Amino acid sequence: MNILGIIFSYSDRENLRELTKRRTLASLPMAGKFRIIDFVVSNFVNDGIYDVSVIARNNYHSLMDHLGSGKEWDLIRKRGGLRVLTPYARSDNEKVGLYRGTIEALASNMHSIRRSMGEYVILSGSSILYSMDFNDLVEKHIQSNADITAVYTRDLNGFPTVPMGVSILRFNDHNRLYDMTINMEDMSQHGITWSTEVFVIRKSLLESLVADAIAYGRYDFLEDILKRSVNNLNIQGYEYKGHLLEFSSVAGYMQANMNFLNREFRGKAFKRPIYTKSKDSVPARYYEGCQVKNSIISDGCRIEGTIENSIISRDVRIGKGAVVKNSIIMQNTEIMKDVLLDHVILDKDVIVRENRRLSGHVTYPVVVEKASIV
Amino acid sequence: MTYHQKKEVIAMLLAGGQGSRLGVLTDHVAKPAIPFGGKYRIIDFPLSNCVNSGIDTIGVLTQYQPLELNTYIGSGQPWDLDRLYGGSFILPPYVKGKAGEWYKGTANAIYQNIKFIDLYDPDYVLILSGDHIYKMNYNLMLKYHKEKKADCTIAVIQVPWEEAGRFGVMNADADLRIREFEEKPKEPKSNLASMGVYIFSWQKLKEYLLKDKEDKDSQSDFGKNIIPTMLNQGEKLYAYEFKGYWKDVGTIESLWEANMDTLNQDVPLELDDPPWRIYSRSSNLPPQFIGEHAQLINSSIADGCFINGTVENSILFPGVQIEKGAVISNSILMPGVVVDENAVVEYAIIANKGKVGQGVHIGYWKLPEIGGKHRNITVIGQEVLVAAGAVVPAGAIVGENVIEEV
Repeated sequence: MNILGIIFSYSDRENLRELTKRRTLASLPMAGKFRIIDFVVSNFVNDGIYDVSVIARNNYHSLMDHLGSGKEWDLIRKRGGLRVLTPYARSDNEKVGLYRGTIEALASNMHSIRRSMGEYVILSGSSILYSMDFNDLVEKHIQSNADITAVYTRDLNGFPTVPMGVSILRFNDHNRLYDMTINMEDMSQHGITWSTEVFVIRKSLLESLVADAIAYGRYDFLEDILKRSVNNLNIQGYEYKGHLLEFSSVAGYMQANMNFLNREFRGKAFKRPIYTKSKDSVPARYYEGCQVKNSIISDGCRIEGTIENSIISRDVRIGKGAVVKNSIIMQNTEIMKDVLLDHVILDKDVIVRENRRLSGHVTYPVVVEKASIV
Repeated sequence: MTYHQKKEVIAMLLAGGQGSRLGVLTDHVAKPAIPFGGKYRIIDFPLSNCVNSGIDTIGVLTQYQPLELNTYIGSGQPWDLDRLYGGSFILPPYVKGKAGEWYKGTANAIYQNIKFIDLYDPDYVLILSGDHIYKMNYNLMLKYHKEKKADCTIAVIQVPWEEAGRFGVMNADADLRIREFEEKPKEPKSNLASMGVYIFSWQKLKEYLLKDKEDKDSQSDFGKNIIPTMLNQGEKLYAYEFKGYWKDVGTIESLWEANMDTLNQDVPLELDDPPWRIYSRSSNLPPQFIGEHAQLINSSIADGCFINGTVENSILFPGVQIEKGAVISNSILMPGVVVDENAVVEYAIIANKGKVGQGVHIGYWKLPEIGGKHRNITVIGQEVLVAAGAVVPAGAIVGENVIEEV
């Protein structure tokens, strides 16, 4: 079975403040050495799907840099492989850059999508799911004679309430979608079926739906295709029972990361390999006097201070007497002597000089922008 | 038409030796494939040195237990050796005409691959082995070779006089022209030891390899035959003095020491060296997790480890698991080793996927009773299980599962 994976690397409803100022959602660091996109790309590759397109919209420099040729995901292929689809200028259309919606993004990349040998398309957003059986998903899609299959979950792991902007999908007794709404308030998730932003559709149907929507000036896949078509298309539900990490706020991003401090969660998340760009850093080095508890540490780190309940990316240096708690520290950051950090997210290449103290709260972590000096 | 593409220099890496002095560590793998320094294998050093020196064509000659080495090198991609023209090539012995033969000596191995080398029409051939840990710019040595208009240049390093007898020793003039080569001399006349790194002008080497083939008594070894013969014939052989860290890791003791050197900031072997990185194939494991009960002192820990015990002066390779209450000190734990609760491991090397049960004591040392000053390293072989409660005394070499006290 030929399947094409299409990943949207951005989200219209995230508010990740400084974290996505200079990068797209999908290239946000996650769980130490990974980027968000590593999880979904690895899920495709682990399921034998080697034809993957990533749709980029803006701020995609770091995403391109991360994905490169795709060799780390085994996606250098003559048949299929990795393609990053970026916005481009056309001589007859001066509008470049921001797509007005997901349909416009698909439409402007249709030449590439059409060329793929995939018969079915799996559309995915950039949230963290790692153990979806994509082959089973497509099989069920075919068996159920669905026009579109929408994947839902009952459990957005790690969140007591569900952030605004996530779509709620409602299915009838025949597992057919009859309504779709956007969550407008933080609500308890009991008994609710949330969209995972993963959909299966035959490629030829996607092509005609997109062409049709564009002709009518409609731009959003969820609103203008899914919601409008509940009566004339057979949209079936498929339940994803693994964990889904979804984030649209900084607090949510932090919580999502902290899930990885749980041994059982890690066991499931890393049951199959998650591939990422290789940096050839040395193993982490721990020096006399360091104290590390309940934390994830990546290679290339040099640790002399204290770390608790934190997630540390590659090539981070933590000096003597420094204390880092409940924080996320991204790559190549230097934390000097006697610094105190609590509930802080340090972006890449930050330097925190001696004796500085920064403290946020679980509901509002302090974010320090990339390459800042504190 | 065809394009003629020539390489000025190519490297031939002798990776076929068994490394029998490493005991159970080479039961399943060739010496160059042995893990080193927390995430590398010995062969990563010569391969990375080549790539960092601008040498992009490397023949890797294998013979003993080659499977793991073959899979490890694969397409050569981790070292940038997947090239359009050139790259890395695994060269095992093969059948020629009606018969084939094993590689009978280091020079014979090169002799059997003359056709491979000629494909690249090189001016120079760099001969390397897979038993040493060092960072070296071969390009500087090649420049020296050209300046001296040498036929062969041998990299040498000064060793303490009392140890010189363990090496191949060069007796050279003041301008470093080699007059005599002595293999493991009883009374060394020089302390310049051969590092096992040679650059030959290819046409000259080829001539001597062909001659050596005719000599029925020759062992076809560089040190014993080719180099002495070249000296006898008055060829120009020069020593190239290397000043830096270099260690032969052919014994358990030296392998342990060289690993420990990576933890010692006074030893000039910096692996965290961006302009001269040592590349290796990634384990693709998630980052390490350090648990509630961990105590870490002067140690190097790799991806995929789970640490909930005490680790001191030790090197833990990818995927090692240390449970609560376990104490690891002065030890090297290779990929995938599992140490259960309350076990003690000291002065030991545990090979890939070894399993240490609850409360086990590895490297148990009774100083007063033995009366020795020297603490021997304990070795646990690949996939060996040491069952709960067992005590393995210092210096034991364990190749089979241990159910009770040794």
